[in-house]
Amino acid sequence: MRVSVNREHCQGHAQCLVIAPDVFDLDDADGRATVLADPVPATAADSARDAADRCPEQAISVSG
Amino acid sequence: MTAESAAPPVFCAAHLLDSWDERHPQRAFAELAAQTAPSRPDGTPVVAGREELAEFLRHPAVHATDGVHFNLGAQRPLIPLDLDGDVHRRYRKLLDPLFTPKQVARLEPMIRARTDALIDGFAGHGEAELMSALCAPLPTHLFIDLLGLPLEDLPFFLDFKEAVVRPQGDTVEDQQQNMRVAGERMYDYLVTTLHERRTRPATDDLIAGFLVAEVEGERLTDTEIVDICYLLVIAGLDTVTCSLSCILAWFAEHPDERRRVIADPSLLGPAIEELMRFESPVPLGHRWVAEDIEIAGRRFAAGSTVEVVWAAANVDEQAHADPLTMQPARQRNAHVAFAAGPHRCLGSNLARLELRVAVEQFHRRIPEYEVAAGQSVTYLNYGVRAAVHLPIAFPVT
Repeated sequence: MRVSVNREHCQGHAQCLVIAPDVFDLDDADGRATVLADPVPATAADSARDAADRCPEQAISVSG
Repeated sequence: MTAESAAPPVFCAAHLLDSWDERHPQRAFAELAAQTAPSRPDGTPVVAGREELAEFLRHPAVHATDGVHFNLGAQRPLIPLDLDGDVHRRYRKLLDPLFTPKQVARLEPMIRARTDALIDGFAGHGEAELMSALCAPLPTHLFIDLLGLPLEDLPFFLDFKEAVVRPQGDTVEDQQQNMRVAGERMYDYLVTTLHERRTRPATDDLIAGFLVAEVEGERLTDTEIVDICYLLVIAGLDTVTCSLSCILAWFAEHPDERRRVIADPSLLGPAIEELMRFESPVPLGHRWVAEDIEIAGRRFAAGSTVEVVWAAANVDEQAHADPLTMQPARQRNAHVAFAAGPHRCLGSNLARLELRVAVEQFHRRIPEYEVAAGQSVTYLNYGVRAAVHLPIAFPVT
């Protein structure tokens, strides 16, 4: 499974890193989310999908 | 002068629907979200659908203000709420790092301690009115702590908050005048505080942070710091007060769900998120359209002020399955209770932390409570939605 963040739509709500800290973090430089784990390990798949479902900007895409 | 211009304005287009109900406004909001191109009686366009809202807020021609009229009694643009474009981004770049989940987590012990101290005031009574006893003072205490201000100034902040968020006045003009007067007092207070602070040794609080912060290599001016603090006062107090009141009112009336989150604290965060979606304490915001634009086939004329209804998008059945049902374990919950787009709530993670810790601590001290017998919860939906009267009873241990 892979996730990606649309950094133009991302507004730094940071819910993704709260929900899936192994998968997402905040980029200090621009306050946008970045992906830590590519591909996403199986153990983090559910939380990664949860993060995508909860992004207020719907900026996270999930594939595979 | 017509009756309409003499009366306080209708707060939200949803209030005009037959389905409007102060206690359960969700039905009216859902109806609004389902309408095609809704508007207020005066023609002000309303954006209430989830998809449309997302697209609308992203458009570069959608601005915070018209550059002349600012939010809530402010004399100058509130920073960063009333700004746009590069100027806005610069300030957000400075402020966002102060409010990330990791940063605000440091405040958890203080939130817990303040909550406990307030509960001490009524835990032995077997009853309490939670808005006045907990929900109103808690965020104000925390705010004063955060900015390093003296505790005896608490009443001043509470009064100011009321004056600008729920302005008194029979007409729009009266309300705006009262807001302006309150605003001037707050500006004066902040300017005085800042002058004092510059003469004192460094403290470890937000104001100290602002004094040394830089935007593109330049320090913030006193005026900028005052404007930021003014915004924080408006944005950070009443919103959390009202959110907390809605959440506690809901748990008071849903004992099974309350017991569930007490038994498993990991359920509380998601439950609060779902309550934020369902209650949408901040129901709407405004934007101003700088050019003629088209969003999903709908035209917005240049110069339009638009009412953007978060509360409606949050119960849009196109975006949320069974939206009128509060589902504490709801999975897909991309709500906009903290808004979306460039002006998404700066303090959202601090608010989340305050709400979760306050509720958690409240439940540790008082796990069993209900609305006091013979009484009821009163909701107000003018400004921020709140359980303005929340009388509870509980066993005293």
